[in-house]
Amino acid sequence: MVFGGEAGMDVYMANIYRKLPIEDFRYRPGGEGRAGMNLHHEWQNFFHAGATIGEMVGPFGGMDIGGGFGYWPYDDIRAVNYVIENIPKYAANFTGPRVNELLGEAYFCRAFFYFSLVKRYGGVPIVSSVQNYPQQSIEELQVPRNKEEEVWTFIGEDLDKAYEMMAGTSPRGRANKYVALALKSRAMLYAGSIAKYGSVNFVEGEAKSAGLVGIPADKASSFFQKAWDAAKLFEGSSYKLYNKYPSDKVKNYTDLFLDPTSEENILVRDYSITTRTAHSWDATFSPGFMTVGPESRAYPTLEFVERWGKLPVLDANDRPVKFNNLADLMNNSNLEPRLLATVYFPGATLRGKTFDTQRGLYENMFTGTVTEEVAKPLEARASITSSDPNTLHNGRRIIGEAGMKRPGSPDNATRTGFFVRKYIDYSKAQPVTGLFQSEQAWIEFRYAEVLLNRAEAAAELNNTGDALTCLNLIRERAGGAQLSLSDVDIEEVRNERCKELAFENHYYWDLKRWRTADVLLNNAKFKGLMPYYVISENKYIFLAERETFDRNYNFEKKFYYEPIPGGELAKNQKLYPNNPNY
Amino acid sequence: MGVSLLASTACTKIDNYEGPNASFEGRLIDVTTGENFQTTTGNIQVRLLQVSWSATPAPQEIPSKIDGTFKDTKLFSGTYKVIPVGGAFWPVLDTAQVDINKGSKHDFELTPYLVINNFTHFLDGKSLKLNFDIDAPIGAGLPTIIEIQPYVNTTKMVGPGASIFDYSDARKVVINKEWINMTPADKSIELTIPELASGRTFYVRVGVRVNDSFKSSNLSQIIEVKVP
Repeated sequence: MVFGGEAGMDVYMANIYRKLPIEDFRYRPGGEGRAGMNLHHEWQNFFHAGATIGEMVGPFGGMDIGGGFGYWPYDDIRAVNYVIENIPKYAANFTGPRVNELLGEAYFCRAFFYFSLVKRYGGVPIVSSVQNYPQQSIEELQVPRNKEEEVWTFIGEDLDKAYEMMAGTSPRGRANKYVALALKSRAMLYAGSIAKYGSVNFVEGEAKSAGLVGIPADKASSFFQKAWDAAKLFEGSSYKLYNKYPSDKVKNYTDLFLDPTSEENILVRDYSITTRTAHSWDATFSPGFMTVGPESRAYPTLEFVERWGKLPVLDANDRPVKFNNLADLMNNSNLEPRLLATVYFPGATLRGKTFDTQRGLYENMFTGTVTEEVAKPLEARASITSSDPNTLHNGRRIIGEAGMKRPGSPDNATRTGFFVRKYIDYSKAQPVTGLFQSEQAWIEFRYAEVLLNRAEAAAELNNTGDALTCLNLIRERAGGAQLSLSDVDIEEVRNERCKELAFENHYYWDLKRWRTADVLLNNAKFKGLMPYYVISENKYIFLAERETFDRNYNFEKKFYYEPIPGGELAKNQKLYPNNPNY
Repeated sequence: MGVSLLASTACTKIDNYEGPNASFEGRLIDVTTGENFQTTTGNIQVRLLQVSWSATPAPQEIPSKIDGTFKDTKLFSGTYKVIPVGGAFWPVLDTAQVDINKGSKHDFELTPYLVINNFTHFLDGKSLKLNFDIDAPIGAGLPTIIEIQPYVNTTKMVGPGASIFDYSDARKVVINKEWINMTPADKSIELTIPELASGRTFYVRVGVRVNDSFKSSNLSQIIEVKVP
C-alpha cells in the first residue's frame, strides 16, 4: 500500500521524480523525429535547445522548436494531487514530521510541473485536486485556463508550503527546502521578467487581452522581490560554489559538473548503465575519433564564445594575427578559465587526442584584409580545402579530423571551430564513451544559478550593490576579473548568466522571458572561428566566418508562447482561446 | 442476433458529407493606391474560421500570392469568419463572415503602415544604388520602425524569406525609431548593394519592417536589374 510507510512512498515518489520536467541530457525539444521530456531511449543528445537559438548551431533546421511538442503532464499532476489529498489521512504510518515532509515534497513536484507548463503556454488550468471519471461529468472535468499571473502565483504558494514543510537536507536526487527555494527563485524571476518585458513586447490577441498570456507590468517588482528573497535565504545554508581545486581553475570548473560530492549541487538526477538510464553526452558532443562514436552535431558559436570578449585574432589593420601553434590562441590569450572549461578550443586535447580543427591551408598569406577575404566564397579564395580529413596536400592534412565541416559533407565535424566541454567526462576511457554509457549526473539546480537569479532580481530592483556581490563570487570561482559597481547593469548580469549556465538548457528560456529572442534571432546567421594553416610562413591564423552550414535562425514573436496542444483543445473547448497567432 | 445486426448497420454507414469542393479567392487591395497590396508569398495570410462547423474551429490559413491575391480551391462549403493577418497593414478589426461555396470571392481593403514612394535605382558597374521615400498614411500609433533592407533574388519571387542573404539581410539598416521621431532625412533612404555578381539578372525590391505582432514589412514593387 502506497501510504503504508516510507517504502511505499519511495516507490510512488520515484515514479513522480522519473517524470519531473527536468530538461536534462535526454530532453529533446523538437526537430526531426520525436521530441519530449525524459526520453529514456534518446541518444541524440545534440538535439539541444541551445542549438536553435545561437548558443550553439546544431542539427536543427533553424529556430524550429517554437511550436513545442504538446507537453501536457496533467496525468503526472494528478499523481501528485493524489499524494496531497491522501497522505494526511495516513499520518500514523510515518514517524515524526515525515508526513509533512512528504507533503511538502509533493507541493514542490506540483510546482515544478506547473512551472514547466506556464513557461511554455502562459495560463493553463490550475487543477489542484484529484479528478475522477466517470464519477465526475465531462463538463466538470473540462477546466478552463487560469490567467498567467494566477499560475505563477500558485507556483509561488506551492513552493512556500514546500519550503515550510520539508527538511533542510534530503537523500540525493530528492527535494528538500532549499530545492524548493531554488525553483522559487527561478520561477519568480521568470514571472518578473514576463511582467516587465512581456508587457512591452507581445503579440496582440484574445488570449492576451484576457490575461491568459502576459502579466500586468505593475506586478514585475513583487515577483522580482520574491525571487530575490528566495535566493537570499540560501545564506547560512551548506550550499556553496564548488572550489575544490582553487589553484587550477580550469580543472575546478570542469570537475564541478562531474564530481558527485560537489557542495554546489542542490538537485541532481543520476543515471546508470545497470538501470539502463545512462545517457550519451560523451558520445554525441565530441569528435568520433575521441569516443566510440558515433558523432557530434552541435557546436558552440563564436557569438557565444565572444560573450567573454573579442578573441585576439585580428590586428589593428584588419589582418590576421599569426600563431606558431594551433593551441597558442587558447594558451596565450589570457582567456578566462571558465571559458576554457566550457568550450574545447582548437588545439585542446581530450583522452590524449588533439582537436586538430582546421578549415584549410593557405600556400601563402592572402594579401587583402580579413573582411575582404571572408566576403569571398570559399572557392574564390587562395585557400586549399577538402571535405575529407584524409586528403593530403604535399603530405599534410588539409582539414583536421575534428573539422571543419565542408558544405555537402556530414556535420559530424565542427561547424564553428569549437566543441562543448561542459559535462564531458574527460577521465572516461575511450572504449566506454559509446551510446548510453555516460553516467555523470545532471545538475538541475546548483548554487551558481541561485546567485545569478539573485543578481538579476537585484539588478531589476535597482539593488546593484547586491548584484555586484553575487557576480563577483561567480567570477572569482570562474577565474575572471572582478567587477566594480559601475560595471553592473542588467546587460552585465545577463551576460554573466549566459556564460555561467551555458549548455544547461537555460538560454532558450532566458531569451524568451527577456523577450529578446525575436531581436537576436532576426533572420540571424551565426559565426565560427576557423583555423587555417599558412604553409609558407608555418603559422596558424583564425578567421571569423559564418558557420559552415550557413543556417538561418528566425524567431517569430508568437513563439514567446507555444500553442495549446491541438489534441487538448479538441477534448476541452474551455481551453480556448488559443495563444495569439495560432 | 441483435449484436450482429447492429454491427453490420454500423459498417454500411456512408460518409455523405460533401468533399472539399468549395473555393475562396480574392484580392488584397492597398486602399492608398487601389492596386493589389505589395506582398510576397505567404507574407499575408487570410485566416478562415469555419463557424458553421464548430464554435471553436481550428484556424486555417490561405497564404497570399506574390501578386497580392489569394486562392484556395479545396475548402468545405460553409460559413466562415475570414480575416487577413500577418502583413504590414493596420489590423482589420471587423471580421467578415462569408458563406463559402463554389467560386466564392471576397476582396479585402487594407491600409498599409507605410508606403514606399519614388523608388529609383542606379547601377554603377556592379554596385546598385536604391533610393526611395517612406510615408505613413496614418502616423499616430504606428508600430516602431525597426529596419529597412533590400531584397535581392535571381527570380521574380523576391521578398522576405526569398532573397540572397549577402545582398539582402546583410545590407539591413537598423532604424529602431518611432515614426513621429523620424526626420525628413530619415524618411528618404538610400541603400547600396556593392559587388553584385556579373552577368546575372536580379530582381530587387526594398522593404521597411515594423515591430507589430508579426514584424512584417511593407514592400516596394519589384524591379529587374541586369548586371553586365
